[in-house]
Amino acid sequence: MKRHSTPNHGGAVWRLQEGQDSRSIGPAQAVALNRLQRRRSRFLAARVVRQFESWARDRGDLVDIGISETAYILGSDAVSVEELEAREMLDTPAARLREFGFSCARLSSVPSHVLATAAANKLLKTSGIDAANVDAIFYAGATPQSHTVGTDDPSSAFNYPVAQLQYELDLTRATAFGISQVGCLGMMASVALARDYLCAHEDASRVLCVSSDVLPAGCKREMIYNVISDGACAALVEKNCARNRICANRRITKGYYWDSIARKNEIAAAYFPTARTIIRDAIADAHINSSDIACILPHNVSLRSWEILLGLLQIDRERLFADNIGRIAHVIAADNWINLKDATDAGRLQPGDKLLLFTFGFGANWACMVLEH
Amino acid sequence: MTHSILLTGATGMVGQTLLPLLTRRADVDEIFTLVREAGYQGSSCKITPMRGEVTASGELGLSAEVCREVMDRVTVVIHAAADTRFAAPLDEARAANLEGTRNVLAFAACCPRLRAVVALSTLHVAGRRTGTIHEDDLIHDAGFVNSYEQSKYEAELLLRENMRELPISILRLSTVLGDSRTGEVGKLAAIHHALRFCYNSLAPMVPGTPDSAVDLIALDFAAAAVEHFATDGFQAGRTFQICGGADVITISELLGRTSELFLRYRPSWRKRAIEMPAIVDLPTFELFARSVEEVGDNLLRNSVAIIKHFAPQLSYPKQFADAQCMESLRAAGIVKPEVSGFYPRVVRWLVETGWGEHRIPAEAMASD
Repeated sequence: MKRHSTPNHGGAVWRLQEGQDSRSIGPAQAVALNRLQRRRSRFLAARVVRQFESWARDRGDLVDIGISETAYILGSDAVSVEELEAREMLDTPAARLREFGFSCARLSSVPSHVLATAAANKLLKTSGIDAANVDAIFYAGATPQSHTVGTDDPSSAFNYPVAQLQYELDLTRATAFGISQVGCLGMMASVALARDYLCAHEDASRVLCVSSDVLPAGCKREMIYNVISDGACAALVEKNCARNRICANRRITKGYYWDSIARKNEIAAAYFPTARTIIRDAIADAHINSSDIACILPHNVSLRSWEILLGLLQIDRERLFADNIGRIAHVIAADNWINLKDATDAGRLQPGDKLLLFTFGFGANWACMVLEH
Repeated sequence: MTHSILLTGATGMVGQTLLPLLTRRADVDEIFTLVREAGYQGSSCKITPMRGEVTASGELGLSAEVCREVMDRVTVVIHAAADTRFAAPLDEARAANLEGTRNVLAFAACCPRLRAVVALSTLHVAGRRTGTIHEDDLIHDAGFVNSYEQSKYEAELLLRENMRELPISILRLSTVLGDSRTGEVGKLAAIHHALRFCYNSLAPMVPGTPDSAVDLIALDFAAAAVEHFATDGFQAGRTFQICGGADVITISELLGRTSELFLRYRPSWRKRAIEMPAIVDLPTFELFARSVEEVGDNLLRNSVAIIKHFAPQLSYPKQFADAQCMESLRAAGIVKPEVSGFYPRVVRWLVETGWGEHRIPAEAMASD
């Protein structure tokens, strides 16, 4: 079977030589090494690649890109699945959703841009970064409502939260971009694009990525047997950052599944084999084996679906950071980054640990990232 | 020596293909077909359709007069009728497959000119056994994947018990796919439905290991082999495995090949970018199947229900020996088509006819 995911090189950026194409990914040796790896000399090639990167890093030819800081804000109201059922906000019985690992959802009474600002402020405060030193801000939202600072006036459709964030956070030098139509992949897509942005702009050092979604009041809180929460997260993607270094990044889009309602069954069936493919590809790109993954930072879909996926991948259940699935449920695009923050704060991650982040978004998109903590 | 044949299961997948072979034989005088459906006529003046049921004890649902007449004339009984539903409750499967066999044997015992009873069975009476399954093997305590396997196993036990009194031969068939020349599938079975689910992105995973062997045979080969063992090649007291034997394909190869064939015969299928099912261990598959049963809607539930009743066989790797069968078939000049040759034709037929929903001329399918 051919694999379909789009390869994307890791967080290491080759410094450009004079006259070199800005899109060039690096010297021919790297390409040759990738070929070598494909020829089943995987173990040997992985060692050679690591040594080669280490040597290049020492020479200053290689710059790491990593995620230096993350922060998040959740909807303030914790509502149990039983209460959600009583409010007719679920399709599946609460008892069944509890079996699938969910206990409550977090609902917000304030709109998404307010949560976004709070999460980004929290991150800037924690990191100590001067707002004026942020080169770009990427803002992701899964729903159309997340991309306007709304009033009932139709012209407010042009009131973009990313511009408001740039202003309110004093990101005076930052160029602003909105990222949409990738569902729950928004934040991972933002981080991947931030990495690409830093690769492409030699003078750029850091990108602030923010994601926020708040579902309309009273709407259903379940999507394909998953409980949905409101929340926002922020991540600082930086050059010369060894912390949470991006080792691999993969993404698959399958437009056949664009109609999420009509193709609900097909999506449920395609989810697992496609997830396995992209995760395996990302692990191979990182020049490691699945046994090297210290921790999986999941998107907070049902624990049952993770148990099945781990079975497909033959990865132990103990390596899944599942603490937040029951506690805060699926916070659209923010899950992986919330889990990165909480796993770090809980002391679950050690320097050098390889972390696997996987998510799926309607649209339909699968994405996977390997980080080195 | 001429034959007067009673055939049960004439409207089944193998029965439909076997019947013309029998009617063409000069040494076959007449064929009585026992069918449930009213209005079945048969396609030859040698055929006498009789409405009846193998599940009806004693006279198989025939009138006493007809039953007596047929008993007096029959020399060969070919018992091909079966409830092949993998998901059937065990009591229903037993009623058709075990009790049906008992009734056919009782009928055969009353045929004064009887020379042969040929009972069609399945390779999967081996159930959850692993390793090499020989043609003489039967008794085991490994258990079964579905009620069909178990009821056919019990039927074989019954047949063996009766081998002293009656001239019985057992023919264990592999999974019959379709015609080796045209790819045509007479009746869709579980494997064809599973392929449709793969095509429609409704088959996320199958249990097994990548090198689990899948044993498949062509329909025309199966029918020719049954014809042989029911007539010239009949050997009382013997069991033959009509199967791929050494010519098998692994599940990993099968899925890869299937994907290639879907693309070849329906290039637009590429647009869907459908992943073929992942091969997973049995507990993972069972967890998925249970989850779909608990919350999935009917479409996904149906696909998983069909797969889950036969695919777990792939988790019990085994090879089927067919030396005795092939020795006899070779002597008769019957050649076994290779799976690599007929599998693409069957997939092509399935894709181009929309799984039999619209017919296309056989000659159009005969060329690759």
